[in-house]
Formats: sequence, C-alpha cells, structure tokens
Amino acid sequence: MAKSYIFLVEDNWDDAFLVSRIIEKVCEERIIVVRDGEEAIELLERMAGDGSYRRIRLLLLDLKLPKLNGIEVLQSIRQSHPLRDLPVAVLTSSDNDLDQERCRALGILDYIFKPLTAERLQRVLPPSRIPE
Amino acid sequence: MNNDAADRRNVAAVPYDLSGIALLYVEDEIDARNMVGKMLAMNYPKLKLYTADNGAAGLELYRENEPEIVMTDINMPVMDGIRMSREIKSLNPEASIIAVTAHSDTSYLLNAIEIGIHYYVLKPINYDELFSVIDKILEQIVLKRLVGEQNRRIIESERQLSGAQRIAHLGSWQLDLTDGSMNWSDEMFRICGIDPGSIPAYYWTFLDRFLPEDRELIKKAMRDAVENRQPVSAQFCRIHRPDGALRVLRVEAEVILDGEGVPETMIGTSHDVTELKQAEEQIRTLTDELERRVVQRTALLQASVQELERFSYFVSHDLRAPVARLEGYCRALAEDCTGCPVTRCNQYAERAERVVRQIKHIIDAFNNLTHYAKCKLVLEEVDLSAVVRSIASGFEQSEPERQVEFVIAERLLVRGDPGLLQIAMEHLIGNAWKFTSKKQRARIEFGCSEQVGARVYFVRDNGAGFNMKYLDKLFKPFQTIHSPGEYNWNGTAIGLATVHSIILRHGGRIWAEGEVDRGAAFYFTLEPNPEPGDFMERKQLS
Repeated sequence: MAKSYIFLVEDNWDDAFLVSRIIEKVCEERIIVVRDGEEAIELLERMAGDGSYRRIRLLLLDLKLPKLNGIEVLQSIRQSHPLRDLPVAVLTSSDNDLDQERCRALGILDYIFKPLTAERLQRVLPPSRIPE
Repeated sequence: MNNDAADRRNVAAVPYDLSGIALLYVEDEIDARNMVGKMLAMNYPKLKLYTADNGAAGLELYRENEPEIVMTDINMPVMDGIRMSREIKSLNPEASIIAVTAHSDTSYLLNAIEIGIHYYVLKPINYDELFSVIDKILEQIVLKRLVGEQNRRIIESERQLSGAQRIAHLGSWQLDLTDGSMNWSDEMFRICGIDPGSIPAYYWTFLDRFLPEDRELIKKAMRDAVENRQPVSAQFCRIHRPDGALRVLRVEAEVILDGEGVPETMIGTSHDVTELKQAEEQIRTLTDELERRVVQRTALLQASVQELERFSYFVSHDLRAPVARLEGYCRALAEDCTGCPVTRCNQYAERAERVVRQIKHIIDAFNNLTHYAKCKLVLEEVDLSAVVRSIASGFEQSEPERQVEFVIAERLLVRGDPGLLQIAMEHLIGNAWKFTSKKQRARIEFGCSEQVGARVYFVRDNGAGFNMKYLDKLFKPFQTIHSPGEYNWNGTAIGLATVHSIILRHGGRIWAEGEVDRGAAFYFTLEPNPEPGDFMERKQLS
C-alpha cells in the first residue's frame, strides 16, 4: 500500500525535530521536511506533475522561511491548479494579526502557535486522501 | 429821515454776518454826528459803532479798536480828516475809509485819492447813497473774511494731509496722461529719498525710481490700467533711493476719464511698506524655521518609534521562536519522563515549562507596553466616572463577599482614547482593589481636584500602601515592591508601567503618594487636547 505524507516546511532544525516527534506520536505518515519556501514549491510542483501530491495528508507550513516566506508559498499553492485544495495548517511563533488574517483568507485548516501539541495536530489532521 | 431806505437795507444786510465788524465815525458837528450815528445804528444794528469829534480823537479810537471801516468828515479842528486818514492808512493800508465831504472840500480830493480813500459821500448826506457805499464795503469785508477762512481751512487740511502722509509713509501723485507731467506730494518725494520739489516730476522720473525688473511690472500695470480704463491693483515694487537704500512700495492708482471717456489723468498712491515687508519676511523665516524644526523633530521621533518597533518586532518574533522551541522541549521532556523512576526529572521539566510560560507572559506584556507608546490615539470625549463605575461593579461582582466602599465623583469628562483610558483605569482600580483585600472596611475613591489651572484626577485607597522610598520603582515595568505571595500577583508587574505609558501618551503626568498600611493615592493629569500621533504610524514591518 502506498504511504501518505505529512509535508513539513520548516527551516529550524529544533522546530522540525519537535514537530516530527509530535507527528510520529499522532499518525503513521511519512514526513517530508523541506527547509525553505523555494524548495517547498519546487518539490510540490514536481509532486503535482507526477500526481504524488495526492499522498500529502497535511502540509504544515512555517511562516518565517528563507527565500520565499510561508505566505508566499501558500499563495503559490492556492494559485496552482492541482495543488489548490491541498490541506494546509500554519505553524508560527509570532502573533501577527495581519499574517493570520492573510493566511485565513487564503484558506487554511488552522493557525497554530508553536509549540505544536499532539492534541492540536490530532484535531487538525484531515482524513487521508488516498483510498486504503 | 429815510426810514424806507433803512428798512430796505436791513433786509439786504441780512445775508452777511456783521458781528465783530466796527465802524468809526468822525464828525465835528454834533447834530450831524448824532443823526448819522442814529441812522447807522438803526440800519446796521450788529455793527459796532465808535464816534469821535475830530481827527486826533478818531485816530486815538482807531488805534484802540482798529475798526474795519472809517467814515470821516474832512474839515475838523485839531486834526482834519485827510491827515487822520493818512495816519490810519499808514497803520493799516487795508482800512476802508469813506470821506464825507461838502462840495467846497473838493480841493482835498486829489490828496484823498493819493492817500487811498476810495469812497465819497457828499454832504448833505443821502442815506441811500451812504448805505449803498457801506453795504459795498461790508460785502467786501465779509467776502475777504470768507476767503480768508477758506484759505485757512485749505492750509489746515493740506497740513493734515501732509502730516498723515508723512506718518503713514503714504505718498500720493497725479499723472497727466497727455504730457506725462506729474504732481507728487511732499511725502512721495521723501519716500523716494528726494527733497520735496527738488526735481521736476515726470512719468519717466517716477519710473526711474524703480528697480529695472519692477519698473517693467509697474509700467505694464499702468499701461494696462489706461487701456482697460481700470484701476491699477496693488503692486509691490522696489525702489532705489539716491543714497542706495532699497524700499518696497505698494503702488495703487486710478484712471480719471475726461468728458468724452478718454483717460486724462491717473491719480495714485505709493505706500512705503518696507518695514511691513521686512516683518512679513521675518515671520516667514521664523515660520519656515519652526516648520523645519517640526519636520526635524518628527523625523527624530519617527526614527525612535521605528527603533522601538524594530525592538518589539525582535521581541515578538525573534525571541518568541526560541521560547516556543524551549517550551516544546520542556513538554517533550515532561512527556517522555513520565514513568521515569527519578521523579525529580519530571518535576524539573514541569517547572521549566512554567518558567517558559512566564517568559511568554512578559513578552506579551512588553509588546502591549510598546504598543501604547506608539499607537495612534482615537480621541473622543470619555466619561471617566462612568468608566470607573463599570470597572468597580465588575470587581464587586467578581468578589461579592468583599466589603468595599466606592466613592466616585460624578461626570468627570476628559478627551482621550476610550480604549486606552479604560485599560489605565482598570489597572489603577485593580491595584486599589487588590491592595485593600486585607482591609475590613476598604474604601476606594476616584475624584478630581483643580490645581494651578490643571485638573488632577486621583484614585485613592486605604489599603496596603507603600513605602515612599520605593516611589521610583513604582512605574517601572517588571518591578514589584511587594513580596511574592503577599498579594495576588499576575506575574509581570507591568500594570503601573502600562498606566504610566498611557497617561504619558495622553500628554499627562502621573505620580503617587503612599504610606505603609495607610493606603496609596495615584494622581494624574491629562492634556485637554492630546496629540493623536498619526505621524508615528508607520507601515507594519513584515
């Protein structure tokens, strides 16, 4: 059976580690970690090209990222035809109301302040998108 | 007697005001003197009449009274009429003398003409003839007086006009449009730095006064005015005085048309407004300077606000990230240590987590504090009394078991940001509520007093108070003067620092008085019209 993924965009090693630890507690998905916005878009587009994007159960997106920031990544996803409906949850440590508004306007499942907890992830995690 | 004639004369004499005019009548024959005197008095009731019986007495009277008219017989003892007339003429060549003469006196006539006796009446006197002569003389005297009076008035008003022009530095001129000749007032010359009348005034001498660039301006304005038959509106032009001084004139003029509607004359004024212009210039310079300083200071202020923004951005973003990481690790530690035989590990992890939460709390408090310092005020009329009443009832409901007497002054209206003032009052009343918690009979008062023209608001309680030696710590953030556990502590000790920031932002001042166990009083003022601070708003950094 083909495995599904949690796609994590996070530039900080500690944060990536802590989020991965929580993911592992909550579900069995494989974790893809990319370290900046550009890399995220490149990989997502490749996955859109070969259809494997359907295996992404949730994209966890940090906002403060090198090269392209989280909001730019989110905008790019929402403008791309196959990726448009990708379930995204934002992870952030800053409490910028404007950022939150923008993200919600672009369509997200949740706006989560770090650190991520298992309960929060459980609540936000959508059903797997590939049939068992 | 000729009463008819006298009546007629009376009527004719009415238009003239004869008061103050005198007539000297010299005649040696007593009957004639009395009769003629009576007739004169009857016909000219207002005329002052002097009589004498010979030339010497007449001359004496003339010297004393200087009558305008002298009427004299020729042949008289002591001094004859001719000699007396000569003496009088030498005293006053203007004197009008009427010779009353018999035909036999004609030998004197040539002499009389030489002396300047211009009027003759023959004896026996025909009153019609006499009165007609006197009327003529009176008419001349009255006219002369009128002309003299008019002249005096003209001279006076010219003197006044010239004085007014001198005081106002306002010269006037008249230009003959047919030949370019001009007529300048004395002040016009003085404004140009020239002795009045020392040069002939022409259109070109007028233009020569002006600086070349202004000369073209005034020339064009005058030409246009003549062409359009319209006034020359105020022109500000500079002239050079012969001594090199530069003066600014405000020139205005009007065109006068002749009977056929053709421009004939231009009359104008030249007002020396140099000092006025200098003052204006000075004001402009001062205003510019002030404006420059405001811009400079606003820039400085914006720079420091920006600095503050950077700093709070750093705290709220850059600092939050590692703190969140720390929190994540603490939680991971606490979770993973569950069931560990060394129970201390778990405890430590939990305590570390609490510390992290405290740090987050402080970051929030700090961000709020910097927000108050730089946010834009939304100014409205705020009823502080109502604000305090609602806060008080909130506290009363939250702890109904407490007995606290609130004394709140009515309708204390201020101008300020309702949101911020609410926060400030919440902290002040909250403090009072908190620090009276150990009092049986707590009392919290909100009021206002007038002090040297400023309204001072206060929140006073009879609670724990404080030692005045800690006064300077009171309004500093993250400082507390009560020991932990003494009173319910929210963990940041930022309340009074917040109040301080909000009051300061409203252009006010805050201070406090306290005594341990006797209570505390917080006083503050507010600027009647605080600066909203729009200029401090910058685009949010992202």
